Amino acid sequence: MTKFLSGLAKGMATTARTMTTHAHTQQYPHVKPELPSRSRGVIALLEENCTSCMLCARECPDWCIYIDSHKETTPPTTEGGRARQHNVLDRFAIDFSLCMYCGICIEVCPFDALFWSPEFEYSTTDIRDLLQEKETLGQWMPTVPAPEPLVPELPQTEAQQLVVDVEPEDDPAAGRTTKRGAGEVPRPGTEEQP
Amino acid sequence: MTDTTQAQSDPYGATTHDVDEDTPVLNAVGGDWDELVDEATALHEERIVVNMGPQHPSTHGVLRLILELDGETVTEARAGIGYLHTGIEKNMEFRTWTQGVTFCTRMDYVMPIFNEASYCLAVEKALGITDQIPERAQTIRVLMMEFNRITSHLVALATGGMEMGATTVMTIGFRERERILSIFEMITGLRMNNAYIRPGGVATDIPAGTIDKIRETIPLVRKGIHELEALLNENPILKGRTVDVGYLDLSGCMALGITGPMLRAAGLPHDLRKAEPYCGYETYDFDIPTRDTCDAYGRLRVRIDEMHESLKIVEQAVDRLDAGPGPVMVADKKIAWPAQLAVGSDGQGNSLDHIREIMGESMESLIHHFKLVTEGFRVPPGQAYAAVESPKGEMGCHVVSDGGTRPYRVHFRDPSFNNLQAVAATAEGGSVADVIVAVASIDPVMGGVDR
Repeated sequence: MTKFLSGLAKGMATTARTMTTHAHTQQYPHVKPELPSRSRGVIALLEENCTSCMLCARECPDWCIYIDSHKETTPPTTEGGRARQHNVLDRFAIDFSLCMYCGICIEVCPFDALFWSPEFEYSTTDIRDLLQEKETLGQWMPTVPAPEPLVPELPQTEAQQLVVDVEPEDDPAAGRTTKRGAGEVPRPGTEEQP
Repeated sequence: MTDTTQAQSDPYGATTHDVDEDTPVLNAVGGDWDELVDEATALHEERIVVNMGPQHPSTHGVLRLILELDGETVTEARAGIGYLHTGIEKNMEFRTWTQGVTFCTRMDYVMPIFNEASYCLAVEKALGITDQIPERAQTIRVLMMEFNRITSHLVALATGGMEMGATTVMTIGFRERERILSIFEMITGLRMNNAYIRPGGVATDIPAGTIDKIRETIPLVRKGIHELEALLNENPILKGRTVDVGYLDLSGCMALGITGPMLRAAGLPHDLRKAEPYCGYETYDFDIPTRDTCDAYGRLRVRIDEMHESLKIVEQAVDRLDAGPGPVMVADKKIAWPAQLAVGSDGQGNSLDHIREIMGESMESLIHHFKLVTEGFRVPPGQAYAAVESPKGEMGCHVVSDGGTRPYRVHFRDPSFNNLQAVAATAEGGSVADVIVAVASIDPVMGGVDR
């Protein structure tokens, strides 16, 4: 009996304690979740950077990117010059009903035309509406997070110092680093050890 | 709504014709259970065969258990699998070695990092670059794997508790898992199916602020696990449901090829992290918890103890990551892909340096990028097997290469599949309710079983 009463008292004490604490429920549509900048919500397209090289469409593991383009010829600007051809993007569409969010298209893009955005509110009631054309993909560009500082641990001057100090010949990581001016900041991961 | 039909004319019945034509079949499709009971009693038959699953809330995923019952006692138990077959292994034969990661990470969706790790270690072994993987990449792999081990064990405890009717266990388990998943999202951008570990290293370095966030999270997770312990360890109801249930002793485990917590709950401290270290596990300080009770309760306690050990490893890994930056991808540029990933504007994608070089300075770099990306790297002909200690047991990957840019064959030894063979040994002779506990203590994930 005493065991029962003490258990009951303990239970009531817990109830009394949690009664006054605030609920942890997030009022979602009113309070947006805080997402990390790497969060993969949607793929945004910077159309000006796209050269219709088809790399992303070919490398997508489930082929959910559709690209159509045509060639246009620019007449020579100078007398006797050569007419130049360039690709014009007609259609760039991603079928988000197929997309696995693996990010391979973004990794392979050699011209930095694709970006991850944490924006996630594009669900539809019809699966066909998940095929997003380039206009919609472009609208997500403003939601792409601003660049993070490249080496956040180091202040700018110190980071520059690091690059200047390192002798490329002695450094095992030198093979990975590209031709880089002293003014540029090394990236984490490819940075030389001091 | 029920009706008694003959086996032959039953549209939902077994198609294998292993039942006689005149065997009565009762179909329960919801509705009035009293009618079903009346019809069953009218048959005067104590022995009935019940299909538990594949759509049953208490079997993990789409596991189908075929139980032969004598009253409440299970006289025969068989596991029916194949309801979640995805063809991942076959699909990987038609993708480059790097793309394969995005497929295999989806096999056992509760432990994606281990799927990737075993695959990448096998590919690296086939390439012969195992000792060239940068130190920092190995440390990040260990960090991610140990976090993933905790999430997997939390899911095992949470769903196991829910199947026994303890919803508080479920809410605590998933709440703590959420903390770790938010770290995953911060590092990889995704909460599950990360495709983060790549042949040669990891996709990107950890972003700024991760180490602080992990250090903030560890005490919270530890507190949550303590809460689970307080709730479970000496709980008389839980002990009544799990002690001496799902019994499988060491010789049984060895005969069936069982690994993981089930084997350690039978008393054998077998753990690949100690037995055959990989990713530098030999340099970390941790213990292998064991129990000798051979039952579902022992397995639960082993899982809880392992979570504490994993937190210990995470702390050590974080200290190493804090020590200083370094490369996270192998130096060989013919393999390293994504080639020049950096923390760009969205945290991922090619760095501006790289783009400047391939667009403006070096045509050869652009050609190399296209060749590496469209064709992928080649793996010399041969085969390799690499195994990691996943939360469920030995997760092995066997890759065969014919020298091309795509695998000739990739096979996974998924511990869920092998451990599931213990269903008959652990469930037969017990009651129906104990089948749930026994299966929950095996912790199979059907995505990994069927692949």
